[in-house]
Amino acid sequence: MSGIWVISETPKIAWEMLAKARELAGNEVVTAFVVGDYETGMDAISFGADQVLLLEMPANIPWEECRDVILKAGETNKPSLIMVAATRRGKDLAAQLAALLDAPCVSECKSIIKDGENFLTERIVYGGLAVKKMVSNGCLVATIPPGTYHPEKIEGRSGDVKQLKPQGFKMVVRERRPKPATSVNISDANIVVGVGRGFGSKEEIQMAERLADILDGAIGCTRPVAEDLRWLPEECYIGLSGQVVRPALYLCAGVSGQVQHVYGIRDAKTIVAVEKNENAPIIRIADYYILGDLKEVLPALIGAFAKAK
Amino acid sequence: MKKIVACYKWVADEADIRIDEKSRALNFDRVKYKISEYDRNAIEVGNSLKDKYSCEFVAVTCGAQVESSLKDVLSRGPTNVYYINDEILADADGGVTAKVLAGIIKKIGAVDLVICGEGSGDEYGQQVGPRLAALLGYASCTFVTKLDLTDEGLMAERKLEDGIEVVQVQGPAVVTVLPDINTPPIPTLKQILGAKKKPTTKLSLKDIGLSRDACAPKLKNIGVLGTVMERKGICMNIDGLSIQEAAEKLAKRLSADGILG
Repeated sequence: MSGIWVISETPKIAWEMLAKARELAGNEVVTAFVVGDYETGMDAISFGADQVLLLEMPANIPWEECRDVILKAGETNKPSLIMVAATRRGKDLAAQLAALLDAPCVSECKSIIKDGENFLTERIVYGGLAVKKMVSNGCLVATIPPGTYHPEKIEGRSGDVKQLKPQGFKMVVRERRPKPATSVNISDANIVVGVGRGFGSKEEIQMAERLADILDGAIGCTRPVAEDLRWLPEECYIGLSGQVVRPALYLCAGVSGQVQHVYGIRDAKTIVAVEKNENAPIIRIADYYILGDLKEVLPALIGAFAKAK
Repeated sequence: MKKIVACYKWVADEADIRIDEKSRALNFDRVKYKISEYDRNAIEVGNSLKDKYSCEFVAVTCGAQVESSLKDVLSRGPTNVYYINDEILADADGGVTAKVLAGIIKKIGAVDLVICGEGSGDEYGQQVGPRLAALLGYASCTFVTKLDLTDEGLMAERKLEDGIEVVQVQGPAVVTVLPDINTPPIPTLKQILGAKKKPTTKLSLKDIGLSRDACAPKLKNIGVLGTVMERKGICMNIDGLSIQEAAEKLAKRLSADGILG
């Protein structure tokens, strides 16, 4: 058992993981599995791979169906670590590889440290409430969130690029509908106004929008507001499986403060809550709060902020 | 008649977990357990397919204290629940859980469709579904928001980062579903009473041919630390301040903190 595998459906996340793989590998071989042509393969080598196996996927087959051909590559030498991009497809593939290799899988791994023969890893559990540290021995599979590591191009590297032909698929794609491009980008906003389920109707969100306008901020929301009620686009939803924001001010109303949402606002510099229930969890994590009905408080805030500016 | 299984996990309600501010240790003293929210969606998918196509629909679970979950799950639609309750599963990771669930599903036999939530409410490792698919030799169809059965298998809409993918599967499959697929109803009194009359099937690790060694997790937990935030916690409308006054006080405060303008 030796070497590190890096598996990604897109080259960019492969490059990021290659930077870490190179650091962990020392003299061991780093193998990258990527989709693309010879050029893509050579890129992966310059970002840290020693050898590249190009996956040639038929257009109507989901990428993660490359499982068996990847396993086959490990028949003669099982790697000590398999890093897979933590996209939805990547998480599916990683779990299947782990099951068939009888290996542990650390999902959305936040850090990996090599400690002799062991790997020490960390990940978030209980909806963002806690960080769990684990140790593993033997082949480890880890999925790595995009953006975790910085890619580093190293001049003058060389290596082998080979082609793999996956086959034996169980799923066929009948249709693909790309996500429409949106202009919403709350992860860079300096001020975010958060909308929770305490809003009684879609019309009431206009108050939050006016407040955001006055503050030059963006609108964000909790998961149910986007996914269940569909009052705001999905790109607005902040939380464990949505956006993570780091604004100077997060001002929310009607947000109870469930742990999954709090995960997404943890790094806000200041948190302000408008909430009628003083026992709501959001009160415990607010810097400032106003107790009251948001239908009364938001117009008052709009007035006060307009005056303060 | 097609046979459908929904898997669920009995998890600690994360809203009841308290963090000790000093030691950052998690306190589970007041914690209640629940069927993981994501799995309620999975159960409801099975339930609606049962009604639509007259399928056989049962639930499956495993863990160290799952017996208190049985009435709850049966009130949500399945006609039986197959389970393994064993103290050794208290430390189970996703790998062990998948092995046990796969064993139970093989024991049930000739299952056409296995439905899981996209992840669990506690660990959210999102791996048990695809692991099950690999162990059972089924297709793995994850992150599904729409699902329908066909004569040979199923059609599903998967929601991925870059859009929707409509896939067709021929043969048996494990499907993991996203919360947007449905809104699980709260069981009615009639359903809760009806659940008491439904059968349950208790199995042991021996029944599914799994050794106790195979149930040792490969990931050893070496510590869980609560994340804490230092926040000011200042109420703006105390001492009988009106909402108007509180709003103005807040605006001043934020200006003084250098956040406004």
